[in-house]
Amino acid sequence: MKGIITEIERFSLRDGPGIRTTVFLKGCNMACKWCHNPETLQIKPQLMVYPEKCLGCGACVRVCPSGARTIKDGALHYSRAICTGCGACANDCFTGALILSGREMTVEEVMEEILQDRAYYKNSGGGVTLSGGELTTQPEFARALLETVKAEGISTALETNMHAPWHVYESLLPLVDLVMFDIKIFDCEAHRKWTGVSNERVLENARKLAKTGKDFLVRTPVIPGVNDSQEEIGNIAEFAGSLGGAQYYELLLFNPLGESKYQALQTDNHFEGASPSPVKTADRLKQIAEERSGMPVRVG
Amino acid sequence: MENRVNIFSPDELMDYGRRIKILRQRKLEETKIKSKMKVYQDGDDYGSVPAPEDYEFKCIPNHENGSWYGYEGWSRNFHKLMSEHPVYIDSVDAFSCRWMYSMIWFDEKSPEKGLNWNPDYSYDYLKPEQELYGIVPGIGSDAHFGGDYELGLSLGWGGLLDKLAVYREKNPEHRAFYDAEELVIHGIQNWMNRAIDEAERLAEIEQHPVLKDNLLQMVKVNRNIVSGAPQTMREACQWVCWFNMASRTYNRDGAGFQLDQVLKRYYDADLATGRITREEAVFYIACLLLNDPHYYQIGGTDGQGNSLLSEFSDMVLEGADMLDSACNITVRVDRNIDRDFLHRAVDYLFKNRNGWPRFSGDEALNEGFMRLGYPESLARKRIAVGCHWMSLPGLEYCLNDCVKINCAKVFEIALDEMMGGEGPYSTERLWGLYERHMLRAVEVTAEGIAFHLKYQQYNEPELMLNLISHGPVEKGLDMTCGGAMYYNMCMDGTAIATVADSFGALQQRVEKEGRLGWQELYRHLKTDFREEGGEIVRRMLASSPRYGGGDTISDRWAQKLSESYAGQVRSVSGRYPGCEFIPGWFSWSNTIVLGKQVGATPNGRHAFEPINHGANPHPGFRRDGALTAMSNSICAIQPGYGNTAPVQLELDPGMGRGEEAVQKIADYILTLFQQGGTLLNINIIDSRQILEADKDPDKYPDLVVRVTGFTAYFCSLTPEFRKLVVDRILVQGGA
Repeated sequence: MKGIITEIERFSLRDGPGIRTTVFLKGCNMACKWCHNPETLQIKPQLMVYPEKCLGCGACVRVCPSGARTIKDGALHYSRAICTGCGACANDCFTGALILSGREMTVEEVMEEILQDRAYYKNSGGGVTLSGGELTTQPEFARALLETVKAEGISTALETNMHAPWHVYESLLPLVDLVMFDIKIFDCEAHRKWTGVSNERVLENARKLAKTGKDFLVRTPVIPGVNDSQEEIGNIAEFAGSLGGAQYYELLLFNPLGESKYQALQTDNHFEGASPSPVKTADRLKQIAEERSGMPVRVG
Repeated sequence: MENRVNIFSPDELMDYGRRIKILRQRKLEETKIKSKMKVYQDGDDYGSVPAPEDYEFKCIPNHENGSWYGYEGWSRNFHKLMSEHPVYIDSVDAFSCRWMYSMIWFDEKSPEKGLNWNPDYSYDYLKPEQELYGIVPGIGSDAHFGGDYELGLSLGWGGLLDKLAVYREKNPEHRAFYDAEELVIHGIQNWMNRAIDEAERLAEIEQHPVLKDNLLQMVKVNRNIVSGAPQTMREACQWVCWFNMASRTYNRDGAGFQLDQVLKRYYDADLATGRITREEAVFYIACLLLNDPHYYQIGGTDGQGNSLLSEFSDMVLEGADMLDSACNITVRVDRNIDRDFLHRAVDYLFKNRNGWPRFSGDEALNEGFMRLGYPESLARKRIAVGCHWMSLPGLEYCLNDCVKINCAKVFEIALDEMMGGEGPYSTERLWGLYERHMLRAVEVTAEGIAFHLKYQQYNEPELMLNLISHGPVEKGLDMTCGGAMYYNMCMDGTAIATVADSFGALQQRVEKEGRLGWQELYRHLKTDFREEGGEIVRRMLASSPRYGGGDTISDRWAQKLSESYAGQVRSVSGRYPGCEFIPGWFSWSNTIVLGKQVGATPNGRHAFEPINHGANPHPGFRRDGALTAMSNSICAIQPGYGNTAPVQLELDPGMGRGEEAVQKIADYILTLFQQGGTLLNINIIDSRQILEADKDPDKYPDLVVRVTGFTAYFCSLTPEFRKLVVDRILVQGGA
């Protein structure tokens, strides 16, 4: 069983309880315009190009089987349209100018990395978190990986947008100790506008999950000009509170670190130059969320 | 520095909190002055104050080269300096005086002029091979072992003089030793008496009632301990200050003691008789740490395995927190440590961001030391009192952190030898040559240590630490030459990452992938990658899987290197009866100097660039810089005989935001030590701030960093040292 992995992050402190390893699966079923990991949106491997690091050795041109890398007028060119994402160029690029995002890995290969930190999980109440992209875009691999992790006695968690068909969650939940899911926007049309999909399934899945008795928590990325109004956060918080049983509700402030990745993928960044909401706004939203949800609220 | 008096209005509030704030501010002013003085740069903060410009020490030479050596030379000069040493009294401080000079910094001891070793005892015959292998031989190095402060505190200066008199009778043949030790104590007493007179004078003038009373207390306390043994916590702390200041002045010795054990008994006694309040005791601890940030340990267990943690341990942390300055407190972490205490200790780390406390791993240290044949009860007493090292207080002589072998240099010699001959070339063949040269390097180092043990008494005897050690006074012998009970000699390897990554890159890029040939590689090394295509080759080598990456090809080489090195160091012990050589991995800040000895290496390192720091991987060891991966790698290369291969971490302050995050770091620390870690140094540094401070150090006069094992004010570092810290922080801190 193989999956496409964007990254395996060890000593992850913000993706669930304790010290964790977070496995980022590539591919997403939403297209949030503020996404700070744009390289995870497509499931297929993608080349990230950092021309400022290139020394012009031409190795990439020599090994490219599809002719996507060429030299014209003494300058290196790249055609994303014909690039197959095979990674031959990145494999021979040692300057960091070309990096392939997305690596095919077996469950065993991922486990090799995971198991190195087993003692840290045990002492801290941590474990392994599957994240993305959206992990449910690779449901079979996710299930196989979760099965293996659980068999090792390691705690598991999911970070999901809750937009997969419910049966996918049904197949994964028995292997999961904690679900951390997003409700990004409460207004259905606005959700469609900013993420490309409606939130009806998200909300429905959230209700279903709450009834399973599984540990869960609700999170909202706070995006300036999109959902950082008191009304929007208040509505989401109220819904989160109505589910009953969530550990807490978390507001995740906008992360501007994706900017260089958009450049490397040569795609438009809708939120170029944007900053996280000011502290004052975040504090006010936290207060509103606490009032409307009746739950503890964190700001991350 | 002038003795200030009547600075504050008599009605101004002067509680303990206010007093510490004043002292801290004064310390920052002193640091600013010191940062421009060469002798104070690139070292510990120490706690010294700048010397007055109008005093110059005129030495009494006893050698034709103008310097002084041996018992007579050191004791006479020390006595003279003590008797003339300017007296600095701060009426706000709980304790009298601060030190200003270290005799080893005087021009008459200049290493550049070769005056730091008595030329009558030549070791020229060892030098060619020492230079060949980049060995820091430790010959002539001083201090770097721990004294037993309880011994000094129980006897006082007068009791120590009595003890000297008793053993002088028994060992008349060692008259020179006893004469010297007596002169040393008399010198200290001279300084103390002048301090008493000055405090008395200031008390008469001082108008502020609290400060006036404090000065009178100072007089009383010091009168009690000029000869007598301390009876109260304030007297005990003041005695420790005198010993520390004198020992620093003598040869910069900075080893402390188990703070929550040695001082606790005085506090308990004072508390029981109503002589002290908790608040007062915390203030004394803060002032003790202000006087000198010696290396102190808290926590762990006593010889019988009983926990040493108590409320007093918390008070030590509170005192350090109150001072909020450079500090070298190590928390000993054992499997039964109170988790709440550990949590609080980590909390202070993030709160003050001054690089304290550090943490040491009880189990791995004990088990390692016991492998030398020592009992567990003794292993437990071997406490953290140095940059990266542990010592049995008053029992062992070690030359800790003074002896280094540059493994990158050894590697370079092995590679040159292989490439200078006919092929076929291989990492296997190179490894064979490396091991052969390394064994010789270890032998040469051992010969150097043996030489030092024979002749250091004629160069620079340990006249301060002898006094609080078990054996020297009784035998009339210096700690360096028969006075100590144990000789557990440190032999640190350096550049483990540089060498492991080099072997790893050769195996990966040359042998496995066949991306370049041996001759081509060698040519690029010898031209420092400056020929056409060299930079690409360098990047290719540098991007090979590194030590610290987590079970990489270079991680496996590092384990092999450490295992082989430990075996070789242990193997030479048998040739020197009564002497154990103990392997460790630590460079201290010699990374720069040792790097300058070595040309380009196959890990993509340019010629003469620094080697890796301690046991840490080179920056860029892994794209995500995962601490657990790095920590596992360092745990896997522990040499395993009670000396350390420390983990040096640079963390972003955001990592410890909130209770939950602090708990996670505490859990990380526990796990690190369960995995075999021995010592953990942590910097909490904002990468943006460190970059700004690097550009303009004066803008951040209170920024403290842990440079290697020691902490220092960032502004007191030279640009070269600042770069060392900055590079590490930028890579690990997530910038």
